[in-house]
Amino acid sequence: MIQDPKRREFLKVSAIVSSSMLISILLPGQVRGSANAKAELSQWCVYVHIHSDNSVSMQSPIMEMGQFMRTAGPMILADEMDLDWSLIQFDTTMPTFLRRDEQNNIVYAHAQIGTGGSQTLKNNWSYLRTAGAIVRQMLIEEAAARWGCEAARLTAKNSRIIDSQSSRQFSYGELAQQASTRRVDLSQLKLKHPSQFSIIGSSKASIDGRDIVTGKPLFGIDENYPNALHAVIDRAPAMGARIASYNREAALAIPGVKQIVETPHHSGPHWPGGETQICAAGVAVLADSHWAALQGKAALATTWTDANRYAGLNSAAHRTALNALAQSSNPGKRHRDDGNVEQAFEQAEQVLEHTYERALLSHACMEPLNCIADVQKHHAVVVVGHQWPHQVALEVEQLTGIDALRVEVRNKRMGGGFGRKGETDFLREAIWLSHKVGQPVKVLWTRENDMQRDYFAPAAAVKIKAGLKQGRIQGWHMRQAQTGGEAESHGFPAHLISDCRIESLTANHPFPLGAWRGPGQMQQAFAVESMLDELAYAKGSDPLTFRLALMGPAKIYPINFWAANEIDSGRMANCYRLAAKMAGWGRTLKNGQGLGIAGHFTFGTYVAFVLQVQVDKNRKLQLQKAWGVIDCGLAVNPNHIRAQMEGGFIDGLNAALFNQVTVQDSIVATTNFDRLRWMRMQEAPTQIEIDIIQGTQSPTGVGEPPVAPAPAALANAIYAASGLRLRRMPFAEHINI
Amino acid sequence: MPIQFSVNGQPVNLDQKDQEMPLLWFLREKMQLTGSKFGCGIGQCGACTVHLNGSAVRSCLLPVGQLQGSAIRTIEGLASGTDLHPVQQAWLDEDVPQCGYCQAGQIMAAVALLEQVNDPSEEQVNAHMSNICRCGTYTRIRKAIELVAAKTPPET
Ligand code: FES
Ligand code: FES
Repeated sequence: MIQDPKRREFLKVSAIVSSSMLISILLPGQVRGSANAKAELSQWCVYVHIHSDNSVSMQSPIMEMGQFMRTAGPMILADEMDLDWSLIQFDTTMPTFLRRDEQNNIVYAHAQIGTGGSQTLKNNWSYLRTAGAIVRQMLIEEAAARWGCEAARLTAKNSRIIDSQSSRQFSYGELAQQASTRRVDLSQLKLKHPSQFSIIGSSKASIDGRDIVTGKPLFGIDENYPNALHAVIDRAPAMGARIASYNREAALAIPGVKQIVETPHHSGPHWPGGETQICAAGVAVLADSHWAALQGKAALATTWTDANRYAGLNSAAHRTALNALAQSSNPGKRHRDDGNVEQAFEQAEQVLEHTYERALLSHACMEPLNCIADVQKHHAVVVVGHQWPHQVALEVEQLTGIDALRVEVRNKRMGGGFGRKGETDFLREAIWLSHKVGQPVKVLWTRENDMQRDYFAPAAAVKIKAGLKQGRIQGWHMRQAQTGGEAESHGFPAHLISDCRIESLTANHPFPLGAWRGPGQMQQAFAVESMLDELAYAKGSDPLTFRLALMGPAKIYPINFWAANEIDSGRMANCYRLAAKMAGWGRTLKNGQGLGIAGHFTFGTYVAFVLQVQVDKNRKLQLQKAWGVIDCGLAVNPNHIRAQMEGGFIDGLNAALFNQVTVQDSIVATTNFDRLRWMRMQEAPTQIEIDIIQGTQSPTGVGEPPVAPAPAALANAIYAASGLRLRRMPFAEHINI
Repeated sequence: MPIQFSVNGQPVNLDQKDQEMPLLWFLREKMQLTGSKFGCGIGQCGACTVHLNGSAVRSCLLPVGQLQGSAIRTIEGLASGTDLHPVQQAWLDEDVPQCGYCQAGQIMAAVALLEQVNDPSEEQVNAHMSNICRCGTYTRIRKAIELVAAKTPPET
């Protein structure tokens, strides 16, 4: 929807014409500060529409990429509103509401619709609850006015307002239209006590399930935009390369091909610092269908020049360099240096030193990148599944000068995001092309380009030196070398070991890097939880007992990291304990079978897994069954927390076994699923059982935490089964599967 | 000679010049049946799985020119009206999809398997269900298949 000053008026008008309640809530502090901000504060919620027959239409306030926020967001809103879940019709459209803040930055006008960093639920928790509670209060006050009674004696339940002193009731539908004009005293507003929740905490199925299993067009790739040209871009295969030649005539000769346009190379600042190639130089074939454009691309027979700019860029050499860096005596950036590690090692009875390594990782979202842009003179429409919709509007503003508030961003469900769909390159090309040719353009990437032009998760080599004395860890020194980014230093075993040093070292290589699904967490957990296992065995102790002894008595340590300001050894220990119990830890296994345990804390959430594997005489590995436990505070939707635990753990196992980007002379060789192996049904564990520790703390994220412990759980299980210790991912290079 | 085949029971007549077009793009672009997805274009991922005369095939590699006389079924042709196919229903009962992108292909592969084998063994499921799910929904897919198998009366 286009944002303009009349927008709010439009909302009110539509409420009247449809004789129903359309509520738009701007919470205090969200309105540009002006003297009459209070008066302007319109208590409407753009996501909910209560009809006079008491049915409700709801738009999800949060984006979806498979992390179930399209279900969790409405659950929170509906619970505080006391809506009858079964009466809600969910709308698949997800418009973006933007505004400018006091600093003139583009921000979300209502809910934080964007998603990533396992922060989405946490960021929207208070907002959605407050919004829901305001609506409930408006309805209660309207009923009180009609009955001429005290609002305090009225309660809301299942889309009805009930008078507790008589049996009279109003349905929300009867009250909605007039209730929507009420003003609620926000200072008197009461949120529910968690014991009053009826929807939050119950297992709900995905609101889009039926549309998905019947093949409805939910994704950006499915959008049939009127008058759009279909673009396939032939992108330079080598980083930094430029176009040398191409056969324009041959491409134009393909029926349906309309235009050939060169798309410019573009570099810019990018995480974790410095300049990166954002868009490769390319030749775009614009046609009346994707199939015609694909044929046109083949006919171009493009050749490239200057492909040697990054000739030395090679993933194998990079991994060797990272390992050498971890082993070197180069001083790293110290994130913590508690006690005196040198002295601790001198006094240790035994010292272990091992290095744990991970390759560059690919995103490989199941839905290849795509974007539709329709850039007109003074406004634009972009149809896309992107993690950060405000970024889409800003990209249009930066490229075309069109005010971001005049960009209509139509959000589509993402066929996977994993951080890749938070990048702007795929937006940029579509916006640029539409602006250039003056027509709507739909750009759809080939899988090869999607994998080649990725922003990889950094590779890493983590060396840990750890001592043992009288059965306890005596000194811990971790040196993490990686392509970019830094080591984490907030998680265990820090706080639990008095002499602890954590350093990071960066081997600067110009690989494009980006957000992935908790990759730093995974690398840390792989190293830490493998080393804990190695220490336990070195000491002749049981890996579970060793971990529980390390956690010690339950204690909370203050930290400052992402969503978390504390880390609790008791909550971590409970996850280990319960996962082990579910797995029957300590039971007798068949020959060749083994159980591995690993846990991790991140984004405020605690997770532990036990995995059972079988390794036969020919080193043939089979993943049999996994048991996982999560403590993410208050569990909003147990069904989807389980689903994230299952899928996230499998994603971590896939990273451990298969995921590896290879780059040779600046060209990505892993271009499709024939060259980049990916976990399928036959390699995945046949069963994953999940339990959730019911907490009372505000809910924390569940998208990334289950990924992290998977590689260590697998390495530890393989060791238990076979005595083979794997320290270098991907494991499929060292074991048969 | 024009190519004649059917898609979800609907007859299709195709002239000569389009014969190289993969079925996937024919379905998505000419018939606006976008339930079958593009994932890799090389027959690896299975997102584009449809039925060709009852067998699961990857439509991204299948030129329409080879379809003379054949019957194609897609995800859109699985339910009868508002009645879901039992496999679709099992997918809802187990709430299988995460992002959902691979699921039409997974469902088509599962339907073809269950039409051939009432109660597939673990090995048969592994061998037949080779589609990639980037979100890792494999354990729920397995449960959904088992749910359908459990409800199907055994062969006599
Ligand atoms: S798109 Fe056909 S198998 Fe991947
Ligand atoms: S559900 Fe996302 S790829 Fe399968």
